[in-house]
Amino acid sequence: MSSSPTGRLVGARINRKEDVRILTGKGRYIDDVHGRGVLSAYFVRSVVAHGRITRIDVEAARAMPGVAAIYTGADMAAMTNPVNLLPPMPNLVGPTFPVLAVDTVRHVGDPVAIVIATDRYTAEDAGALVDVDYDVLDPVISCDDAFAPGAPQLFDDVPGNLIFTDEASFGDVEEAFASADRIVTDVLDQHRWSCVPMEGRGGVATYDQATGGLTYEASTQSAHLLRIMLAGFTNQPINQLRVVANDIGGGFGLKFAICREDIAVCAAAKKLGGSVKWTEDRNENLTSAGSAREEKLTVEAAVRNDGTLLGLRVSMDMNLGAYPGMASAFAIPKQILFMLPGPYKIPAYAYSVRVAATNKATYVALRGPWAAETLARERLLDKIADELGMSPVELRRRNLITMADQPCPMGTGVPLETMTAAETFERLVSKVDLDAIRAEQAAARAEGRLLGFGIGTAFEPAPGTAAYWANIGFPAGSEPMKMRIEADGKVTAFTSQVPHGQGHETTLAQVIGDELGVGFDDVRVVFGDTDATPYSMMGTAGSKAAMMATGAATVAAREVKAKVLEIAAHMLEASPSDLQIENSVVSVKGVPTSGVPLAQIAMGAMLAPGLMPAGVDLKLEADTSYDGETGGWSSGSHACWVEIDPDTGKIEISRYVVVEDCGTMINPGVVDGQVFGAVAMGIGGMLLEHSAYGPDGQYVAATFMDYLMPSAPEIPEIEIDHLEYQAPTMIGPRGVGEGGTVIAPAALMNAIDDALRQVGGTRIEATPVTPTRILEAMGVIPRE
Amino acid sequence: MTSPMTQRQITVTVNGAARAATVEPRRTLADFLRHDLDLTGTHLGCEHGACGACTVVLDGAAVRSCLILAVQADGHEVTTVEGVADDGAMHPIQQALWDNQAFQCGFCTPGFVMSIYGMVGEGCGRLSRQEIREELSGNICRCSGYQKIVDGVEAALSGEVTA
Repeated sequence: MSSSPTGRLVGARINRKEDVRILTGKGRYIDDVHGRGVLSAYFVRSVVAHGRITRIDVEAARAMPGVAAIYTGADMAAMTNPVNLLPPMPNLVGPTFPVLAVDTVRHVGDPVAIVIATDRYTAEDAGALVDVDYDVLDPVISCDDAFAPGAPQLFDDVPGNLIFTDEASFGDVEEAFASADRIVTDVLDQHRWSCVPMEGRGGVATYDQATGGLTYEASTQSAHLLRIMLAGFTNQPINQLRVVANDIGGGFGLKFAICREDIAVCAAAKKLGGSVKWTEDRNENLTSAGSAREEKLTVEAAVRNDGTLLGLRVSMDMNLGAYPGMASAFAIPKQILFMLPGPYKIPAYAYSVRVAATNKATYVALRGPWAAETLARERLLDKIADELGMSPVELRRRNLITMADQPCPMGTGVPLETMTAAETFERLVSKVDLDAIRAEQAAARAEGRLLGFGIGTAFEPAPGTAAYWANIGFPAGSEPMKMRIEADGKVTAFTSQVPHGQGHETTLAQVIGDELGVGFDDVRVVFGDTDATPYSMMGTAGSKAAMMATGAATVAAREVKAKVLEIAAHMLEASPSDLQIENSVVSVKGVPTSGVPLAQIAMGAMLAPGLMPAGVDLKLEADTSYDGETGGWSSGSHACWVEIDPDTGKIEISRYVVVEDCGTMINPGVVDGQVFGAVAMGIGGMLLEHSAYGPDGQYVAATFMDYLMPSAPEIPEIEIDHLEYQAPTMIGPRGVGEGGTVIAPAALMNAIDDALRQVGGTRIEATPVTPTRILEAMGVIPRE
Repeated sequence: MTSPMTQRQITVTVNGAARAATVEPRRTLADFLRHDLDLTGTHLGCEHGACGACTVVLDGAAVRSCLILAVQADGHEVTTVEGVADDGAMHPIQQALWDNQAFQCGFCTPGFVMSIYGMVGEGCGRLSRQEIREELSGNICRCSGYQKIVDGVEAALSGEVTA
């Protein structure tokens, strides 16, 4: 264990607690939950994109030995309530749909029946015998399909396949565009790609016939929200429903809230009065779990010839797939459009958006769900710089909001304070010699090689501010924590976070250890069990933990510490303000030999209360929350160097630099890990990964041979520099999990376009950037 | 559907101990390890041989246990993540990965540990960072961006590590 420069736990690159079980194969993921009588579930899924179920025959399957039950959509509808996950909101039309398809299937992979059997092999054998006939309907694949006159309608209660519309305007947009020297327009057609956690979705539902209680051990990011939703859809009293999360093999947004399969598995366990396990396999995950990022944006900038931005106008279509999830239909498009002006002075801004229902799997959140805005904006800025003959650095510098400009509103009116994107940008630029890069590019061109360089910058709500979240229509909320000093002086903390790779058992123990003066190994962080942990809706999502859970841990630790010191003050005959706790011993400051072990105080409080000082609170517990103060932002700027093979179109990233600011780093190793992983995801999304559908709505990326995940050789060595700006809030850390995935696509795409520009290639307007698209852009091969 | 006619008796040496079982011929080695022997450290990330999460060492070579049938392992020696170090201890490879905070969610981790264990066992010697990346190209990790896994392997290979 290395220690921090200050000798404290916070700031130290401490080895993670989680890794002891993870590295030795002792983690407990969903499929590791074994036990006598645990049945296996398998979903029979639609093989067509859009169709009417004309017949479903389960008799042969039901007759197979080992099959406990098969429930069709109609059976399941009798056991559950219809699903509609969208809140009442203007211009939002949420369809109501069954847990399993009853009459209509709306995407390839739509679940039509659940088979429950003694083991997975038998369940799949039986599933193969379920005979479903479909009357195939015309599919709706793109937003243009969805909005075309006479388009097939996905849902009776969603006229025109239009789930959500919104528009807003800030400042005098007409005037900005009328007075501009030029208007620069750009298009971004981002493809669909997916979260793809290495562990798919899943859960084990157990109904206890003795108590009537239902326990769902789930692969979830949001245990409490899942519990509330499950209770409603399965008619289970909430106080008889417990959700438990143990090790979770990644989420990236996919495992937020609830999925239809969760409901079916719980309803089946309740009906059977036993235990049912569903482990999503990779084929199901790629086909059915949902995917992200299918947005098409047209952005126009009103610009003066000196590079000053006067205004932006944006229109966006988002392809939501079928069966809208809780937040994706409105909160993600609003986040995209509220963040789009970014860290730049944009006096006038207008947006409009249409969200379409289509015959694809559900649109889900993916790490930095608003990322399309940074990609669209940063690409537009490079296009403007190119048209003005200005360097991309100079154009940004002219328009960035610096710390000196704040407090001030961003382009969407959201107040900004202590937002450091411009400062990360300047740090990045100080590491980059643009003239040398241009010279190197010219020299390479002379040898027939093609080099590109790109940058991107952004800030992110990590956790954001109350004003920001009010605009999105999603509550910011406070963060709870319960804490208890045990009889031996060790500490148990109960968080509402549901960590799935973020390392909160480690980082929160660092925070609590410092606050309470106890050792890292003396703190245990309990998560994921709704019977034990305090309620919050979010769980682990939205880059909130670094500030919010740290704040909750801090205020809870201070509360229990005050109680300890009050007791110790009597024992040591000193004022509480003169006492300290160090190495689990309470002593008078400056008189370490005066100490009383924390364990002695705790054991006395619990086991010998009569011997303790009278009139003091002996309950060494806290149940409190942190309000987030004024909130905060994280920022980052990236630079990317690429080399493109002009013969094959292959893109190689030769260098990658990140400057990020997430405030105080609790554990620099964890921070670096989040940045490396997030950047890798952004690179994979732009170059390799594609949740692709054919023109008939068939899903054509159902294996890892078709859906290409980045492996180690495809990802460059990434250099990171941290700004560690200390905001005036009591709590210093900010979230760092998402920015890499938001900014990397922008820096990478700008580098690719920079390379293409040098040889007269056309701009890339549609992703992913495959070698084929590069060769098309270079005119080497004709466009498809 | 199981029937006695299709069952096979096998004996596999797993982590040094002979394990006898009756399995269907179609049962994968991964499912045999996980469900019959309760060795759930071997994870299944794709079940089509692409992600490497299920990697185990079979007679000294790293293999995908999702692509091998349990009956094919009859009479052979298998090492899983549970068998690389004494209970409660870490192998130097695991220690180096821990010290470098190589992993996050941990689902892919046993597969990486076993691929690296296999590499070391086959005498890979010191490798450059790019060579390490190539050696690990058969394992997918969604969380880490690979950089700290490479750091960990580099550290492990710089010491006196033997499989």
